Amino acid sequence: MMTISILKKALLASAIVLSTTAAYAEDITITVWAGGSNASDSYRMDAIEMAADILSKEQAILGNELNITIEKKRDFGGWSEFKQAVTLAAEAGKAPNIVATSHLDIAPWSEAGYIVPIEDYLDLDAWPINNIYDNLLKIASFDGVQWGIPQDAESRPFFFWKETMSKIGYSDADIEALPAKVQAGEYTLANVLVDAKKAVDMGLVEKGYGFYPRASNGPDFAQFYLSYGGVLQDPATGKLVLDKKAMTDMYQFFVDAVAAGITRKNHIGTDGSQWYADVANGKVAMWHGGTWHYGRYTGKEGNNDFFGTIQFSLIPAGNEAGKANTITHPLVYLITNQETDRAEEIAAQLINIASEPRINTLHAIKSSHLGITKQQSNIELYSSNRWASEATERLLPHASSQPNHLQYGAFSEALWKGLEASWTGVQTPAEAIKEVEAELKAILGDELIIR
Amino acid sequence: MSHNFRHWPIITILTIVSLPLIIMFAFQIIDTFTTHPIDSMIPNKVTFEQFSFLWDEAETGRANIWQVTLNTFIFATTTAVVVCTVSMTTAYALSRLNFPGRRYFLGGLIILHAFPTVTLIIAIFLILQIIGLYDTLLGVIMVKAALELPFGIWIMKGFYDNVPWEIEMAGVQDGASRFTVWWKLVLPQVQPGIFALMIFSFLSGWSEFLLPQVLAPGNDAQVLSTYMTALIADDTKIDFALFKAVGMFYALPVIAIYLIFQKKLMNIYGGGTKG
Amino acid sequence: MKNFNWLALGFLAPALIVITVFFLAPVILTGIFSFTSMSTSTGVTGGEYLLNQSGIRALADKGLNTATLDQLKNAGYVVDEKGLAALAERHGVATATEMRKLHENGQFSSRRDMERALKSLKANKIRSTKDRKAAAELFKHSLLNERFPTESKFRTAITEGGIPLEDHELIVTQAYTGWVWTVDNVKLLFSLPSTLRYAGNTLIYVTLTLMFNIGFGLFLAISTFYLPAKSASTFRAIWFLPRILPPVMYVLLWKWLTWDTGFIATTLSWIGVAPINWMLDTSTHAWVVVVLINGSFGASLGMILFSSAIKAIPSSILYASEVDGANRWQQVRYIILPHLRWPILFITSYQTLSLLTSFEHILLSTEGGPGRATEVWSLAAYHIALDNYGGNLQYGLGATFAVALVIIGIIASLFYLRFFNFNEMVAKPKIEG
Repeated sequence: MMTISILKKALLASAIVLSTTAAYAEDITITVWAGGSNASDSYRMDAIEMAADILSKEQAILGNELNITIEKKRDFGGWSEFKQAVTLAAEAGKAPNIVATSHLDIAPWSEAGYIVPIEDYLDLDAWPINNIYDNLLKIASFDGVQWGIPQDAESRPFFFWKETMSKIGYSDADIEALPAKVQAGEYTLANVLVDAKKAVDMGLVEKGYGFYPRASNGPDFAQFYLSYGGVLQDPATGKLVLDKKAMTDMYQFFVDAVAAGITRKNHIGTDGSQWYADVANGKVAMWHGGTWHYGRYTGKEGNNDFFGTIQFSLIPAGNEAGKANTITHPLVYLITNQETDRAEEIAAQLINIASEPRINTLHAIKSSHLGITKQQSNIELYSSNRWASEATERLLPHASSQPNHLQYGAFSEALWKGLEASWTGVQTPAEAIKEVEAELKAILGDELIIR
Repeated sequence: MSHNFRHWPIITILTIVSLPLIIMFAFQIIDTFTTHPIDSMIPNKVTFEQFSFLWDEAETGRANIWQVTLNTFIFATTTAVVVCTVSMTTAYALSRLNFPGRRYFLGGLIILHAFPTVTLIIAIFLILQIIGLYDTLLGVIMVKAALELPFGIWIMKGFYDNVPWEIEMAGVQDGASRFTVWWKLVLPQVQPGIFALMIFSFLSGWSEFLLPQVLAPGNDAQVLSTYMTALIADDTKIDFALFKAVGMFYALPVIAIYLIFQKKLMNIYGGGTKG
Repeated sequence: MKNFNWLALGFLAPALIVITVFFLAPVILTGIFSFTSMSTSTGVTGGEYLLNQSGIRALADKGLNTATLDQLKNAGYVVDEKGLAALAERHGVATATEMRKLHENGQFSSRRDMERALKSLKANKIRSTKDRKAAAELFKHSLLNERFPTESKFRTAITEGGIPLEDHELIVTQAYTGWVWTVDNVKLLFSLPSTLRYAGNTLIYVTLTLMFNIGFGLFLAISTFYLPAKSASTFRAIWFLPRILPPVMYVLLWKWLTWDTGFIATTLSWIGVAPINWMLDTSTHAWVVVVLINGSFGASLGMILFSSAIKAIPSSILYASEVDGANRWQQVRYIILPHLRWPILFITSYQTLSLLTSFEHILLSTEGGPGRATEVWSLAAYHIALDNYGGNLQYGLGATFAVALVIIGIIASLFYLRFFNFNEMVAKPKIEG
């Protein structure tokens, strides 16, 4: 009894000493901006706030009073407005401390000196970074430097409406076998054209609703370029590659889809809510989207039987030259260049803590994204989610990513311009390719290989 | 005027060509306060639910609507005051005072109007950054006021031009200084112009979208136009009724001002038509 | 006399300052930018010196000899005497001795490997990540991925790294991250196939919208002139609203009207027309909507100016014509229109210039689509400089596009100034001569 109370007194005394030595309190404000984020992506910012709480507690144990205020912002007009805002703010020295953004921004922003490598502050061999999937970590690096930490993972699958598929002659077993057939290259984009046409001709879906692509620019279309054997980056030289044959084939696929009446000529720019409503409830035979669509289909669009109504697979191959594939386009946490090293260090620590499997799982499940660490499969919230585990298994092993290259933005922009022009009939694919080639040659110069 | 003509054909034609606008305005109001079944335009229920953004707590990472409204108000009011004050003096100098280079100044004013200012925005950004006003409301106000100035000066010059010379001559002959003449005698004459310009600049500030978006992206300086575009961009909740409700809230002051000051607003070009 | 000039100066000063800072300076800067390679990656305010893997690859392409290349590439981290001495100073001799025992002369290609080597210390662990990272830097030989703020610092570093002097120039040029002077933007402007399309689009846009503005403005002014005051002001009020409603909201109304799920599509579906997006279905649809949006916005200006000009026509002339038995069309054709000659010319010139440089409504509605069909010059300048999905904003090229517009604007205004009898407009004030 006696000893315990003495111990208590001693502890109390030391606590007082500690608190007096830590008389100075450190107050810091960390701003987090998240691009392309909806209400369901709130944990992109909230996770940092949770991390701040943990970090403050850790520091309190060490006797340091660290008060972190987190300021959050996600309401930008869109991706481009977000990037514009971050770029100009960074140029003015007012950049937010942490940004959650596309990994493609690493190349230009690192060159400009807007961001600092996270590896300056974090031990990459320690928890939780050592548990993050290697391929995701690699996507968050550029030129051999680890600039950021993946914030989530996703993949962009091809979807089939099961009921329509069975009405055009696929048995339940056939539909179950579809993903494997797509993966093996036995079911290709040519089959997509045929089957979607059947669905339109039989009146199962309206004209223009056989194949329903994304309605705006995005990484998704690079997948179709890969499907026709295109290559984005030359592994040997690191240069970007314009494979004219593959690109023409890819444009031609969309032109054929319009000509066959399975895709609308004016599809681009379709209103977002309409797009989701159409695909989630059987108005469309086939489409492609993202793993995070699951949340929207089953949530706001009210599809209560996702697995009973929708089949998903890789993006089918286009021809023998290409393979079935999918692109993952993870967002990454980046820390920006600040006046004080301290702000950068704390930002890095917060990102480190926010990457804890349990915290990241909150985001993954709430927003229907995929996890970033291996241990997430041991967390009930994640493992009990059928979508997260099945999508991870079926898609992620085959996922590639877009290259982190200074000029990739210009490349993808040109790819899209050409596709848009062919699709809407403003130009033929051949004309469009010619213009894309001229434009890319002019802008990229030596950094482009034309095949 | 012209009593020997019948009115109804003109009214019919005008109504037909105005129909799209009338429908838009009408449904803007109807949709804001009602819900309707999908695939129908006819409302079946009156509701104020769409206005819940006004009292619900702001979502993660979204600015508070009242703060944004206050910003918009400060932005529009200050812009209007700056534009009016500067236009008042400058236009008077251009209209009534003689000084070297007056010709070039006037010619320059017309050329300024043709400047694609918004495409110069990178340079404007750089200047704001140098003077430390990037991402502040004050910075955007300065830029907006500057861009409105050529218009404001031009309009005010028109009003001054219409003031009879005799008023000033009389004042000067009575021994008043030129400044006193301007302040005491001429300004009251152009009051309608000042008033119209004030309202016009306020409305223009209230509506401005590109400048705040590019030059003040932070939450602290957000205004209603950027708030609304961000809302529209949020693709988990595309909902025309909500947009319209926010739009209604946004447009309310505009419509109120319009209804009250309609006549005065139409006067805006009252002075400047002679050019 | 003198003090009048001071008064004028005082009256003009605020405007002069504002115009210098926010008009002249930006124009000059934009002119400068248009001859630079400025983009997101170069930054606006200047660069630093940085060698990374991409830079090494580019140097190889530019013919840097392989020996130097290997030297740059493979310097990495070396556990040498210098580093060990520094380590001893910071973490004690024991730590340095253990490090020497484990890794003397060890070479590591990456920082991560160097850190792992430091982690392998058993007896003298460096526990904090921060300290370990600092310790790793002590052994660094590589110049890769390090930013040097000035050229002289960078030159010193490569000299210390033993890079032969004759290769310095090439390396320094490559390593600079900032913008450089170039005429490539002007060349691009003339060689890009899209330039011609943007110019054509602008021509279509300005011509059609202008025709709508003038024609419809005239129609509104004349037709409301013949109406009783009350209905006249009602119609004028309706057509004035687009001008003062916030563009974001005004365009949203048009979207609601023309969208696939919008009013037109829904109404037409009742009579069996399949819903289409009336704004973006084809480029014709897009043009019609763009012209209508901008036209309804712009027509009010014409309406107001023409109305007041018509009111200024002496009513005796109109009465006289009616007595002579002129019908309404003849009255418009022979009396009203001739009186409107100057206002029409004024609006034409004023709005040509406005339309050339305005793109806000297009940005908010079609965003230049479909397939860039409605991408006008000023919108293209905006997209290039400030808004592309890829994120590497091309400030330099965007500036070149803007400068082209400035030049066209100035030429057009000078032309109009000639045309509108400028001398009369700037007639000398009557007091003080």
